[in-house]
Amino acid sequence: MTTNVRPVLEPCGVRVHETAPSREAAVHRCADVLEEIGAVHPSYRDAMLDREWAMSTYVGEGVAIPHGLDMSRALVRRDSLAVLRFPEGVDWDGETVHVCVAIAARGDGHVALLSALARILLDPGRARALRESADPEEIVAMLHLDDEP
Amino acid sequence: MIRTVLLAGRAGLHLRVAARIAEAAARLPTPITVRTQDRAAVPADSTLALVSLGALCGSELILEAYGPFAPGALNELADLFATDLDAADA
Repeated sequence: MTTNVRPVLEPCGVRVHETAPSREAAVHRCADVLEEIGAVHPSYRDAMLDREWAMSTYVGEGVAIPHGLDMSRALVRRDSLAVLRFPEGVDWDGETVHVCVAIAARGDGHVALLSALARILLDPGRARALRESADPEEIVAMLHLDDEP
Repeated sequence: MIRTVLLAGRAGLHLRVAARIAEAAARLPTPITVRTQDRAAVPADSTLALVSLGALCGSELILEAYGPFAPGALNELADLFATDLDAADA
């Protein structure tokens, strides 16, 4: 059965001054950070790349959400998020991504997280605040506030 | 008119499932909205709006549409929500 653990986002999982020459390089950086914070097994990287090529993880408003496929759940050590901000932008199949929210999740707790993120992105002011924030604590707070309807 | 359906996708209304449903909704001849017990109605043809509902497997979804095309369109979209689209991804 699935569990409803909400992925953890900590300031150490937020990187605000990233650069990447390509979408692939950006996904690699996302995998690097998930590995550094002890969230995933090194093989999770391949699952993230496979998922990215199966269908873009771009969700709108300059945000992409690189993550692995269902079958890569066993490679997740701790349900976690990482947020990488690319101030110069990364070309994402014709879109420009400024923020990657990298997801490592075993259960369906990430559906609640995605819902919170989607509600931020549907609100242009909050979407801009998320893209422009260079403060890890503030980014963590933005992504955690949305338990209310 | 209103139609309710239980979400069958085993991993909930996540991005790939939402994208597939939004694409189907955009092709329908009439606009449909979707809401849950907790969240207000959103347009079915927006991936991000569908994801914002945060629906888990088994969640009740309330679909609403009006006009002569509503019955067929609601059936078509309800069928999609009632299909485990994650099974096809495996």
